Amino acid sequence: MSAADVKTFVLFPIGKKRFALPSELVEELAQPDRLQTFPHTTPLLTGVLVRRGHIVPVCDVAQVLIGPNAPQRKFYLIAFRSSGAAPEWIAVPVTGECELAKAQAEPPPSEAPGYVTGVLHFGEEKVEIVDLEKLMSERPGQALSPARRAAEVSA
Amino acid sequence: MKPRPEARAASRCADAVILFTAGENEFAIAAAAVDEIRNTDGIREFAAGCGNCPKVSHTLARDGKTYFVVDASTQFNLLPSKKARLLVLRDWPVAVLVTHIDRMGEVSKLHPLPRVFQGAERKWFRGLMLVGQAPAETVVPLVDPEAFLTRREAEELAGNGTGANRP
Repeated sequence: MSAADVKTFVLFPIGKKRFALPSELVEELAQPDRLQTFPHTTPLLTGVLVRRGHIVPVCDVAQVLIGPNAPQRKFYLIAFRSSGAAPEWIAVPVTGECELAKAQAEPPPSEAPGYVTGVLHFGEEKVEIVDLEKLMSERPGQALSPARRAAEVSA
Repeated sequence: MKPRPEARAASRCADAVILFTAGENEFAIAAAAVDEIRNTDGIREFAAGCGNCPKVSHTLARDGKTYFVVDASTQFNLLPSKKARLLVLRDWPVAVLVTHIDRMGEVSKLHPLPRVFQGAERKWFRGLMLVGQAPAETVVPLVDPEAFLTRREAEELAGNGTGANRP
């Protein structure tokens, strides 16, 4: 492993699992804030936060990552998304504190969902690197592989 | 360093708006788009609208014209709620049934709807306003008056034998 291959990631917990985002996409980890809602029809969005005069949409990706039984979210991970246009902040509710880690990404396994862009290894733990853009295009319950869905149900 | 997301975004203006509620939700509409705020006296059931356009349940006859009454709760997929006021739109044969008129206000900065919102809300709202003082601002969507009833819907309803004005 060369030093050039090692990158920095933010590891965030959702339930008993941790996932990763490239650190350059993460703005901050925010305390629970006042979630504001208005009518809309976009899946996964639960409302917006106001952060220092910015309106930040909240995207509850836990429904896709681990299913409907995710524990209560405690913090918001504020990250960038850019879909070909100007970057836009998005708040991802997470269930615990995040960690900054340096690691080398490995390619995702073939059976991984499309939003997984790589895997990090920390001892026995495998942490999936997620693509927020692809993750948000998923519908709740669609993205879980049969094996993962079965594990969630048995848990 | 990444550009601040809002740098691209908010447009500055100083337009008067009317803040209203539908159920528990607060909305704003440009004051210039509203011709009159009134109570619900005089509205009549409109059975012809129920099939093709369920959000239009009543009509209002006013100054020799017929207005289609659109229930704001139905428009925004909200639970049914008490309706007490009508916003009669200007230059459009539509009156919007709402729960409560809150107050007049001024929008000095209109934030675009974040791009991640990709559903019907992109047609419903012109953008988002921050109302109140930091850090307790409330996010209020500014509705697009033309989204309550499209020209095509209005033409179809007018053709249902109501005698309503064509837009």
